[in-house]
Amino acid sequence: MISAKRLVKWYGPTAAVSDLTFDIEPGQIVGFLGPNGAGKSTTMRILTGYLPPTSGSASIGGHDVLDDSRAARAQIGYLPEGTPLYGEMRVTEYLDYRGRLLKMPRAERRRRIDEVCGRCGLEPVRRRAISNLSRGNKQRVGLAQALLHEPPVLILDEPTAGLDPKQITAVRGLIAELRGRHTVLLSSHILPEVEKTADRVMIIAGGRLVADGSPDELRRRVAAGGRVLIEAKAGAAALREAVGGLDAVARVEVSAQDDGWTRATITPKDDADIREAIGGALLARGVALREIRLESASLEQFFVQVTDSVPGQASEAVAQGGAA
Amino acid sequence: MSAVWTIAKRELTGMYFSPIAYLVLGIFAFVTSLLFFAQYGPGQPATMRGEFTWLVWLLVFLSPAISMRSISEELKSGTIEMLMTAPISDTQVVLGKWLGAVGFFLTLLIPVLLQVALLELTAEPDYGPIFTGLLGLILVGALYLAIGVFVSTLTDSQLIAFITTALITGFLTIGLYMISAADFTPLAVKDVLYYINVNQQFEAFAKGLIDVRNFVFFLSGSALFLFFGIKLLESRRWR
Repeated sequence: MISAKRLVKWYGPTAAVSDLTFDIEPGQIVGFLGPNGAGKSTTMRILTGYLPPTSGSASIGGHDVLDDSRAARAQIGYLPEGTPLYGEMRVTEYLDYRGRLLKMPRAERRRRIDEVCGRCGLEPVRRRAISNLSRGNKQRVGLAQALLHEPPVLILDEPTAGLDPKQITAVRGLIAELRGRHTVLLSSHILPEVEKTADRVMIIAGGRLVADGSPDELRRRVAAGGRVLIEAKAGAAALREAVGGLDAVARVEVSAQDDGWTRATITPKDDADIREAIGGALLARGVALREIRLESASLEQFFVQVTDSVPGQASEAVAQGGAA
Repeated sequence: MSAVWTIAKRELTGMYFSPIAYLVLGIFAFVTSLLFFAQYGPGQPATMRGEFTWLVWLLVFLSPAISMRSISEELKSGTIEMLMTAPISDTQVVLGKWLGAVGFFLTLLIPVLLQVALLELTAEPDYGPIFTGLLGLILVGALYLAIGVFVSTLTDSQLIAFITTALITGFLTIGLYMISAADFTPLAVKDVLYYINVNQQFEAFAKGLIDVRNFVFFLSGSALFLFFGIKLLESRRWR
């Protein structure tokens, strides 16, 4: 549904996007993650036909964004970064204006405006001027506008930026409702947001795709260490002796001792799950155990890990330093 | 075509939310009234020729104030992104912006129509020159606003858009007049300058003449600047 081939975008001497290739299947919700300045917005602007790529091509539903731009744009509901709106217009007035630009017939416009106002929680503020709305409500108007013509593709640039936790949950719920009906590409630099809604996560840094997969897959890639955390009632030496002797265990690190309890991190030799072996060994020696678990790898760690090791980021910093 | 009207309508209604619109309306109404009543009285000819000639000068400064918002404000607030990612053409955007500005300009002329009504009630006005004068005024406004819309695609600063537009409209009137008045200007150049001088082109309308050449001047001038505006906006997709 959304396809990008070898996209490259230079802003003067800086490469905002370099060699980005991906394909998004219909009905997928894809989270587009990356630190600020990683090229998320630039990529989205290329996909929506607002900016041309320096090289490479992109298409929406089979329509090239450059050669068949209007057909491609007609497929997209887009929420640009910062939700730019006309402040002097009332909510429904603005939605009606958008509907007209999208060539929606009058009756359909009315029906859809009622529908998106309901879905985005805009009912209480329908008649208010947009400039008088709260940040959260403006964001909802932006979302309502993107959903208005039931576009097959939704491109949402930071849909939850500037919202409070309750509003974020609401927006997340709204996006989850779109599953199946729309193909959604949403960007964020906040992980948990994407982790919970997206079927697939693409992480970019320095304009490059550094990771791509379902949230679970990515989490597993971090968890590959298979390290186990335990807390047992034994001295450090006793614990080392009890667990360290096991075949599958490579290393035991004691991290804390408190009131007879010892916390330790145990690294296995290969990726095997060694919890059972450890539990068995400790029980056999009659050592009390109050915690044993796999070290939970959050996507957050993964994110930091993959985005830190990108050469593009460093060269960008140099380029900016050179300009300044 | 409907997208053009949609944009023009929003442009026109959006205009009335800006204080500048009321300033422009106020200044125009005040100046036209001064000009009108300076010539209004027993024994005076019931024409508006002098008033129209002066209003063309006033437009040099007033029309840039109308057009400076046009695309500059969209660039500033970022709403241009919403507009350019909608499935409409850049031509529709520019034409809509221009028609909206022209629509606002037409409302400026309401006091002039009231003056015509006053003349009708108290004298026997010669409608020929009044009609052609008004028509000429609208054509001048259309040209100046086309220049203004073109300039506003260049910058996100309304102030810069205003100053640049006023420089161009000023050049097409005062500037060209001064150059052609200079002794050292060759006669051939003077002829050309005479042709592209807005005041000269307007004179025929003020006299009550409708000459195809004057029409061609204003309409082709407007079309030229609108074309530049469209190309500039399009070029944002290629940069």
